[in-house]
Amino acid sequence: MSATTNEAVTRSDTAGPAPAPRPAARGFFAAGRHIPYALILPAVAVLLGIMAYPLFRLFDLSFQNINRYAYIVNPSLGKYIGFDGFGKILGDGQFWQVVLRSVYFTAELVILSMVLGMLFALLLNRVSNWVKVTVITVLMFVWAIPALVSGTVFRWLFASNGGVVDYIGFLLTGDESVKHYDWFGDPTVGLYVVSASVIIWGALPFLVLGLNAALTQVPKELMEAAKLDGAGPLQAFRHVVIPVIRPFLLVTTALSFIWDFQVFAQIFSLRNTSPEDGYWTIGIYLYEKGIVASKYSDSSVISIAMIVLMLAVLVFYIRQMLKIGANER
Amino acid sequence: MTTLDVQPAPQAEPAAATAKVRAKVRATGESRAMTWVWNTLGICFAAVMGFPIYWMIITTFKTNRDLISKDPTFWPSSFSFDSYSTIFDDKAFLPALQNTAVITLGSVLLGLVIGFLAAVGVARFNFRGRNFFIVTMLVVQMVPLLAILIPLYVVMNEAGLTSTLIGVVLAYLVFTVPYVVWTLRSFIVNIPAELDEAAMVDGCTKWGAFFRIILPLTLPGLITTGVYTWIQAWNEFIVVNTMLSSGGKQTSMAWLTFYATTPTRGADYGAQMAGALLVSVPVILLFVIFQKKVSAGLTAGAVKG
Repeated sequence: MSATTNEAVTRSDTAGPAPAPRPAARGFFAAGRHIPYALILPAVAVLLGIMAYPLFRLFDLSFQNINRYAYIVNPSLGKYIGFDGFGKILGDGQFWQVVLRSVYFTAELVILSMVLGMLFALLLNRVSNWVKVTVITVLMFVWAIPALVSGTVFRWLFASNGGVVDYIGFLLTGDESVKHYDWFGDPTVGLYVVSASVIIWGALPFLVLGLNAALTQVPKELMEAAKLDGAGPLQAFRHVVIPVIRPFLLVTTALSFIWDFQVFAQIFSLRNTSPEDGYWTIGIYLYEKGIVASKYSDSSVISIAMIVLMLAVLVFYIRQMLKIGANER
Repeated sequence: MTTLDVQPAPQAEPAAATAKVRAKVRATGESRAMTWVWNTLGICFAAVMGFPIYWMIITTFKTNRDLISKDPTFWPSSFSFDSYSTIFDDKAFLPALQNTAVITLGSVLLGLVIGFLAAVGVARFNFRGRNFFIVTMLVVQMVPLLAILIPLYVVMNEAGLTSTLIGVVLAYLVFTVPYVVWTLRSFIVNIPAELDEAAMVDGCTKWGAFFRIILPLTLPGLITTGVYTWIQAWNEFIVVNTMLSSGGKQTSMAWLTFYATTPTRGADYGAQMAGALLVSVPVILLFVIFQKKVSAGLTAGAVKG
């Protein structure tokens, strides 16, 4: 709707009886139909150059057998092998292991961070004001910590020599052996407990603050009405609060999924740049194959699998966003 | 987006206002004892969340004696700045910081200019392919950066841009431009077109209307997206590490990541924490100064974490 007014001016200018060329200074909106294309041209060029073309190369690479050696030293070794690359990766037990691990890990992270985020957001509405201000301040600082840095810090917290978490465990239990418990020895513990806690720690500020703000959108009258009608707190939450904050819940769940599924930096720095294969989620796997082992074609297949998995889950979210966007036009 | 923009941003004044209202409600509804239970829980939550940061900061001031003592101490026995001088003595640290600053500034500026132009085009004009362009901007944000890392490296390598900072800035446009377009679009759409029309009726030229009406009114949006882009670019690691892998250049995140990989430094957690704190300070400052904008920018359509 905004476009129509400008264009109405434009059209009456250009379609007028005297098609005298306008001075350049007035040309911004007046120059006619190609103006919007000129405006989006740089963005389109960028997208073509560093998104569309690389995506094309991604598919191209996935049908070849290129690695770093074949690419840089001896290009004649590279050749097209059709779907053999896909067959190789999809037939690899490790690939499916990694995909499954990513699915479990993502599910754990999304569910835990959403539930915890919701609980603490509700808690923030119950506490006194000074507590609320304290919590919000702490959360802002946590939010500001870069992901790589939080991995580095947690590696120190959970260190088996001089790590404070082990020490607190010792203080609580009085058991000397707890003092040198190795959190990273068993990848299952290292991934599903330690890595998960770094990631959830980093995600909670956004979730708690966002959900808390969303909760303030719930009309007081509705809550009172529910109470008058005899609804308990749980019922009121389920039938009044949830429907009101539903759009925001959808967005945050989708965002959590996006971040958690492609998580890389936290695990990478937590394991001091060389995660053992028990820590390989799909992001790490891709890095290990593509950058560390320099198998460009293999990692292209993995990339395609990752994109497909991601978009398949997000179709509903994209539709939701477009609906929100459509209301604005 | 309108529904989302109002939600984030923990605001001090409304919080205070609602607190007063709540105090009245509480007098009849909830008992004081329960409030204390909730307060205790809230403080515990803040303590757990804040502890890693406290530990990071306190570690930087510890002396070696504290650091290698058998049991960690919750307060340094004496304060020392040795960890910081270790970091500043590291020859790679300051150049890495400088590279990060150049890359970040470059990608924020370039991303904002390109994204702003496209956002104006999309928000103010009706043209063929507009919807396609908008949908593309959204979907492109969902493609994981990691997934196009290899082909991006190959393409940049063929263009001779690997191991140059410009190459990294260009590569970062992949996540800045779609985000800026998508977010600024909703800012510009919300500026009534009647405003620039009125300005032109009052004798403004079209450029005048643009500079006097659209640009100032989009400024909050530009700051929001700028801050967010800044943080993204500053924190980015994978792309920059791959692009600069052969040139001997480093950014501060890459520097920090690999600082601990040698055995001698791996055990020096004082220096590691000092380095970690130093590379995050610019981001922390931005967060503190622009906290409302950051939260607004995130919910306004950001997808990348």
